[in-house]
Amino acid sequence: MSRSKILLAEDNAADVWLIEEALRRQSLDVEIENYTTAEDAINAIQRCGVESASVPDLILLDYNLPTGHGGEVLAAAASNPHLAAVPKAILSSFMRPDESERMLGLGACCFIPKPPSLHEFLTVVGKQVNTLLSQAVSK
Amino acid sequence: MKATAAATDESLAIISAEPVKLLLVDDDRDALLALQAILEPLNQELMLAESGKEALRLCLDHNIAAILLDVRMPEMDGFETAELIRSRKLSRHTPILFLTAYRSDEQLFRGYDLGAVDFLFKPIVPEVLQSKVSVFVELSRSERMLRRQAEEIARTEQQFRAVLEAAPDAMVITSEDGCIELANSRVDALFGHDRSNLIKRHIRSLIPSWTPVGGGAISERRLSGVRQDGSSFPAQITSNPFSTSDGRFITTAIRDATDQVRTEARIQQINQELERRVAERTAALTYSNEALRQFAWAASHDLQEPIRTVLSYSQWLAESSKGTLSAREEQMLDVIQQQAARLHQLLGALQQYIQVAESGESKWSEVNCNAAVETAMSNLRGIIEESGAVVECAPLPRVMGTNIILVQLFQNLISNAIKYRSSDRPKITISAQLDDDAWTFSVKDNGVGIDPKYREYVFGVFKRLNAGQHAGTGMGLAICKAVVERLGGRIWIASNPEPGTLICFSFPREPKP
Repeated sequence: MSRSKILLAEDNAADVWLIEEALRRQSLDVEIENYTTAEDAINAIQRCGVESASVPDLILLDYNLPTGHGGEVLAAAASNPHLAAVPKAILSSFMRPDESERMLGLGACCFIPKPPSLHEFLTVVGKQVNTLLSQAVSK
Repeated sequence: MKATAAATDESLAIISAEPVKLLLVDDDRDALLALQAILEPLNQELMLAESGKEALRLCLDHNIAAILLDVRMPEMDGFETAELIRSRKLSRHTPILFLTAYRSDEQLFRGYDLGAVDFLFKPIVPEVLQSKVSVFVELSRSERMLRRQAEEIARTEQQFRAVLEAAPDAMVITSEDGCIELANSRVDALFGHDRSNLIKRHIRSLIPSWTPVGGGAISERRLSGVRQDGSSFPAQITSNPFSTSDGRFITTAIRDATDQVRTEARIQQINQELERRVAERTAALTYSNEALRQFAWAASHDLQEPIRTVLSYSQWLAESSKGTLSAREEQMLDVIQQQAARLHQLLGALQQYIQVAESGESKWSEVNCNAAVETAMSNLRGIIEESGAVVECAPLPRVMGTNIILVQLFQNLISNAIKYRSSDRPKITISAQLDDDAWTFSVKDNGVGIDPKYREYVFGVFKRLNAGQHAGTGMGLAICKAVVERLGGRIWIASNPEPGTLICFSFPREPKP
């Protein structure tokens, strides 16, 4: 089994570190390709599957990003046919109900919260990513 | 056009009952007394004269109804006397009956020439004399009554014209179909017409769009008046139809409404200006409200992120450094965690508070308050079980709102009641009653109670009565107040003789849609 790859759009380095720790505790060997602005993430997503560029197994998007928000990145992912089968999850500590509905409409498969407690964070994020990756791989 | 006589039937009856004056003239004293005796039963005032001269003198001083005049008298005979009586203004039309012993055609012709109305031949037959004189008495009375009536009519008409002239408006009296019968001098001034030229012309020569008014009611309207020089002006027209024996007429008062129109236009302009300013101000406020709302939302959300990270990392540090830190260092790390947790909690409360403001009317529906209490209790299961609290809830009505904020309301009230409990097991009673046109809810507990002087204070934002790490955010009741007021109600702490706290809130029975 080749190493899984996650395309992560997250501007907070502390959260990136926490996500990596969560995956480590799930014993997942994952390559994380992190972008810290919406613009960089969109550019990367548009290149996915084009020529020899690889396609990630999971796209994880933080909702609040410099230069834009998760919705814009999600829209870019939805318009790239190579990413049609790739699950796209939104990471957010809190979302307005109308916003979350909009995200689902744009192709988000689920929301992964960022709980304030360390233990909860590591458990929730680790387990959800693990589940999404195993679904993606089994397809 | 005649003004109606104001004399009443009663006053006319008095006039007709008054005795009239009858003048009896004969040089023969005995004959005179005999005449007097015959006419006495008529109950009229009888004046006696024994000569033509005396008769003339009485005619000068009195208004005589009829004269009985003997033809044959010395010095001045009856015909000469009659001629002189006729020549006087006061007695020119007084009827004269000649008394004579001779039936001669010559005498008759002369007598009728001099205005005699009748001849009576001696010897006098009393019944004939009485009946002839009675006729003259009646005639005189009728004449007198007519004269009084005419005077009365003239007086009333004079008064009427005086009133018409004194009116501040141009007044026109027209027939029902608009033909001018009368106009006052203000008509000249207002229209530049000579009013004498207006009589019998149509009122449309003054007000071209005039139409007859129906019914008996006064009507007010705004039409255009046209002056003689062709210029026009806005005219305030008051028409008052009335009926007389001559038919239906309309009194029309015409006022130059130029100033009024100008004032009205000015008021309208001011109103429009005011509306425009209110709209501008409202737009500015709406904009700043929206900006503020977005700011509050973003601020509370964006502030959550770093504090969440601090919280996670201080926990991580505590975990990974376990056993390597001194007791004092562990304490310091503990303080960081506590304060970060508190800040996180405060920001969460602030978000809830903002969420209340977000719950606009467009999102409202009927909410079952009993279900909202159930949800609130389920959210609070932890502290309810831990404290052994008993929550009793009576049947509650449905109110207009959003489920999320009504759950928040009950949840905050129940959790407050548990948080500020006394040494007794917490007991919370929730009920509602309908008085007049409002539902009033009561949430009663047996906790420590709230000092009456803080009854207002506790509803403030971030206001707390206790310190220490177990203290609340100071937002609980502020959120309750925001929820109740958002739904058009009010909330207060009621005085309660029993220990504990009684919080009431009321919603109008039919909240604003």
